[in-house]
Amino acid sequence: MAIDLWRRHTGLRNALVLIALWEVVGQFKLVAGGALPALSAIVRRLSVDWSDYPGHIWATLAASGSGFLIGNTIAILAGILFVIFPVLLRVTRGLNIAIFALPPIAIAPILALTLSGMAPRITLAALGVYFVTMSATVIGLSQHDSRTADLVRAYGGGRWQVLWRVQLRGALPSILSGFRVAAPAAVLGAILAEFGGGGRWGLGTYLLGSLGRAEPDRIWGIGLVATLIAGLSYGAFALLSARLVGTSRAVSLNPAAPPSLQPDTGALWYRLALVAASVALPFLVWWAFLRGLSVPAMLGKTPWDVIRYLFLDPTSAQAQARLLAALAQTLPITFAGMALGMGFAFVLAVSSRMLPEFTRAFMPVALITQTMPLVALTPLLVLLLGRGTSLTLWVTVSVTFFPAYVMMAQGLALVPRAAVELPRAYGARAWSELRLVAIPASVPYVFAAMRLTAPRALLGVMIAEWLATGRGLGNLLNQSRGYLDFNMIWTVAAVSVLISVAFYQAVLIAERRVLARMGMTTTE
Amino acid sequence: MRLQMNRRNFLGASAGAAALPFLPRGARANTPFTMQSAWINDAEFAGYFIGIDKGYYADEGLDLTYLPGGPDVIPESSIIAGRADLSLTTPDTTIKAIVEQGAPFKIIGAQYQKNPIGIVSLAKAPILTPADMVGKTIAVPPVNTISVEAVLAINGIDRSQVNIVPYSYDPTPLIRGEIDASLDFTTNVPYTIETMGEEAVSFLLYDFGFTIYNDTVVVTEETLRTKRKELVGWLRASRRGWVENFEDPSLWPPKWMGTWFAGTGRSLDNELFFNTAQQPLMESPAGYMAMTEDGIAANLEALARVGINGTRDMFDTTLLEEI
Repeated sequence: MAIDLWRRHTGLRNALVLIALWEVVGQFKLVAGGALPALSAIVRRLSVDWSDYPGHIWATLAASGSGFLIGNTIAILAGILFVIFPVLLRVTRGLNIAIFALPPIAIAPILALTLSGMAPRITLAALGVYFVTMSATVIGLSQHDSRTADLVRAYGGGRWQVLWRVQLRGALPSILSGFRVAAPAAVLGAILAEFGGGGRWGLGTYLLGSLGRAEPDRIWGIGLVATLIAGLSYGAFALLSARLVGTSRAVSLNPAAPPSLQPDTGALWYRLALVAASVALPFLVWWAFLRGLSVPAMLGKTPWDVIRYLFLDPTSAQAQARLLAALAQTLPITFAGMALGMGFAFVLAVSSRMLPEFTRAFMPVALITQTMPLVALTPLLVLLLGRGTSLTLWVTVSVTFFPAYVMMAQGLALVPRAAVELPRAYGARAWSELRLVAIPASVPYVFAAMRLTAPRALLGVMIAEWLATGRGLGNLLNQSRGYLDFNMIWTVAAVSVLISVAFYQAVLIAERRVLARMGMTTTE
Repeated sequence: MRLQMNRRNFLGASAGAAALPFLPRGARANTPFTMQSAWINDAEFAGYFIGIDKGYYADEGLDLTYLPGGPDVIPESSIIAGRADLSLTTPDTTIKAIVEQGAPFKIIGAQYQKNPIGIVSLAKAPILTPADMVGKTIAVPPVNTISVEAVLAINGIDRSQVNIVPYSYDPTPLIRGEIDASLDFTTNVPYTIETMGEEAVSFLLYDFGFTIYNDTVVVTEETLRTKRKELVGWLRASRRGWVENFEDPSLWPPKWMGTWFAGTGRSLDNELFFNTAQQPLMESPAGYMAMTEDGIAANLEALARVGINGTRDMFDTTLLEEI
């Protein structure tokens, strides 16, 4: 009996083992001479500090909650619009990718100056959730079961009827899985903006005040509280989606591919015009943002200012040299970190299917690395790994693998049952079933995960460079702030966005080739 | 640069007007005035907190809004953006911005006559002069990199002989021996190190030729023209606050644990240590917040050695004379 119970709760058991291990490691100061305190010490410290917390928690909750609401509302509306008017998706492509790829550390101080009060935090949280939810909405809406839509049409339903009765309902699991990733992202965005924005309240602000006091137990305590907030929000949406996926997953296999958003259709001039508009729009928005808020010229640099600074000024050669030297340090490690993060996510997604209880035990650890502010985690990693390349790689893997994992796991979970049952009927083992059906069927999700990961890899490298190694693009950005070199700040932000967009574009081209060969469609 | 009434200012102004009838009578006449601080709330800004709590700013007709700073806040940006009227800054970045970018700044006062930043190391491996830094790893906040480079240059040490890494305001790496020293406020971090069971030693950059002020009071030329009366009032009230603070440095910090210092996670003992340690760095025969001709000359000379060529007219001492 007891053994039965023990077996059934392997996930719980593994978690308990992990906690016990943590306690032992902490008690005997096994990690870097006590940089990882025992869980009991952290909890003890939490209860001592508890009177400090309510104000900080409330500020972070308010900012991330508002950002989550606003960002997701815009994202879902935008996703619906994009599916109804695919041309809009093509025009705003550049803007969408740019929003996704914006390095939050670069814009946090800029937002703090151009907006006031809580607005910078809310904006950064909203920016953090927009792309994830928007793409989840588009994927969900465009991958509906066309037979259901045919049914509605056969009974005289129009486009709106199909959207309302078929597409939105079918998209719900996908949107919820987007929310799942978006929720911790909102908390992180809010905390990151607290770092750049001054102000007195918020977990990020609290962490700042505590960093200088060399108390790892308190820093871990703050991190765990942030983790708890993010973890609870993640759990709530995971639960909701588990409830709903069961009722909306296709029971049988639909042989017809869903009518997709056909890319690159129309006359050549039309396509070129769309591409031009898509490229121009982010720069227009950049310029309009500065104009709309009447940001002083010294602080806010327009796209033209950046071009002038890099190519036309007498000091341009020097600026170019600094930028290129930084890029030469940043780019190689970004590619390496991205490859590692994707590989890790893939292994994890496969193992979550094959060894669910292992994944359940691993998830808390994964969530901690996701939601613990990197600023708190980095000092610990520095003590473990030094300030070299391995640190940058670890930070990069830690920021990339989680969203990639969620996407891939979703792809594996949504494989139509009929496709899975075929090999099973022929007596295939779980591994061959995975190899022959589940993995190929989820290839579109793997590519979507890759596109999601590319910009985050660059961000991870920049965060590590900014906080610890003092090299590359991240350091250049940080140093430029110290020198009040606003031109360079905007230049680095713009260049890092351009690089991310280039990554994204490269993955997309590869994706189209591969999927065309496999007879699948791209999930834009 | 012209300061425009943008939407935010307008909303703020109209909200202020709407709230007017509800304010107590004495507060009605006060002009809204905003200062951007240089760091999170701690004893470094005790004088201003006293000025607010005891109504010294209100006495000058100012309704003061205090914006805390932090590691990622660039204080000068707040006055460029029009979010604050006045800002506490480090003079090296301010003067560099004036020289290189034509920033319309004037320095109208200085809180620290001697910059409290210094190189902090452990007593068991002491670094007591710039020469001791050769071959060592020093953690420096990026904002202060030019200050350290300045001291190295002044003392004839090649920059490449010292390994400078980013500093995240955490003394743990120093105690663990991962770095040999860090640049921090000597009024603050030695306390933390002592609570961790190590003894700290330090030297001020000021004492090795980098003779600059810190927490310089900076305004835009526009503000200087249009709000001169308010600025003089702010300086007068601030001086009163600092005088009051140093009459007994242990009197005020305990009162603020539930207000100004609430939620910072710092202990009262830390603030008392800080408040006591900063007194000698702020005193001047000409009074708190003062800028003397000798002091200004020393600032310009130190900065010139690192290629920041400031001039006397970047400092405006006439407001201090009106106090």
